[in-house]
Amino acid sequence: MKHLNEEELIDYYYGESSSPAAIGDHLRECGECSESYVALERDLAEIKPLPVPQRDAAYGAQVWDAIRSSVAVKEAPQKKLRFGWLSLHPMGSLAAVAIACLLIAAAFFVGRQWEHRGAPPVAVNDGGGEQGRERVVLLVLGDHLDRSERLLVELKHAAPSTEAPLQAEARDLLSANRLYRESVKQAGDPVLAAALDHLGRVLTEVANEPAGLSQARLDELQKEMNTDGLLFEVRVLRSRVQEDVEPKSGTSPVTKGVSI
Amino acid sequence: MEGNDHAIVRAVLAGDKDAYGALVTRHSQNVFRVAFRITGDEADADEVVQEAFLRGYQRLEGFESRSEFGTWIYRIAVNCALNMINKRKVEATYQIGEETDPLQQQVQVADSSAGPERTLLSREIESLQTEAMKHLTATERTAFILRHMEDRSTTEIAAALEIAPNAAKQAVFRAVQKLRRSLAPLRVNP
Repeated sequence: MKHLNEEELIDYYYGESSSPAAIGDHLRECGECSESYVALERDLAEIKPLPVPQRDAAYGAQVWDAIRSSVAVKEAPQKKLRFGWLSLHPMGSLAAVAIACLLIAAAFFVGRQWEHRGAPPVAVNDGGGEQGRERVVLLVLGDHLDRSERLLVELKHAAPSTEAPLQAEARDLLSANRLYRESVKQAGDPVLAAALDHLGRVLTEVANEPAGLSQARLDELQKEMNTDGLLFEVRVLRSRVQEDVEPKSGTSPVTKGVSI
Repeated sequence: MEGNDHAIVRAVLAGDKDAYGALVTRHSQNVFRVAFRITGDEADADEVVQEAFLRGYQRLEGFESRSEFGTWIYRIAVNCALNMINKRKVEATYQIGEETDPLQQQVQVADSSAGPERTLLSREIESLQTEAMKHLTATERTAFILRHMEDRSTTEIAAALEIAPNAAKQAVFRAVQKLRRSLAPLRVNP
């Protein structure tokens, strides 16, 4: 008589056996298998779920209140001016000012952590006007995209490793990316927002990889997260930002791109 | 109710952002329950609930009307919870010694003043179970929770974890085997 293995018993226990009647018959006839099954039942019966803390009827409303401000109204895609989200209206809406402040704060944050290259971004703000602010925003965003591009290129060519230099960089970029993503979403640039969203997911995966990046995990990331596609998107966006900086700066921009 | 969910989704996509609040209210308890079971932490579960509904909103255009919103958001929540426990694993400082020696799989029983033998045994089982769950991989742990505690089928587990049904089944098997091995010391000295 062929005895049932543990997998068959587990399947039967959870009601997923392909032939439950046959297994039931076997358990009635075979003492050894019956004993194994009783032991399995006893073990699994002892594994009880943790009691789930109660959430009151207002919980759903509280969750909605917490996320409501982070979501934008859905609407049919409209044609927007190129980088229209950056152009501060002469009347200056509160939202635009808030976004500018947020991005300027981000500029200091990124500047603190990133090496100084060329003239510091704040130096271009000598006009003190909206043009200066715009330029700071563009430079900071350009810098972020530049760093992200380099990380994606490194990821593309990374060798399996248990060390985590890429992960440290990903963690660093992740916090800045969240800030940009939220600002861009509120400002309503869906293309940039989607790219930063995608970038955020890749950065999260890289940053949270517990045991370094194995070859299999690298392949998986490249396949599942389409990092090649993201790299292309980031390059296009960086060029867009750079083009927007160039006419305003009147000087040739520093080329920070990396080639594959 | 689910038919109503579809109408709400259409309203949200047509620009009625606040209609989404009704979906959040309707499904947040279920999402919280599974999030708590996977993460094992109340604050993390709350975070997962918010993250799941946020992601749900952002991806609402991709929601297919032939699916049920409850099932769809449940899957997103499972994914968020899985990410959360992976993140926590990285951050966690592995503490051994005072409570448990994982190498020998021996759990220190609660202080002898705790009460009757039965209470001690029950605590010991709970302690062993908690410790054993920590030694499962994130996928095994989640697959087991979905199977054993959430009563989800292999197909549903596979869909939620975005893996093949056979891989989901194997994850449950491995989890059960590991958990049984962890509980074995209790069988020797009941």
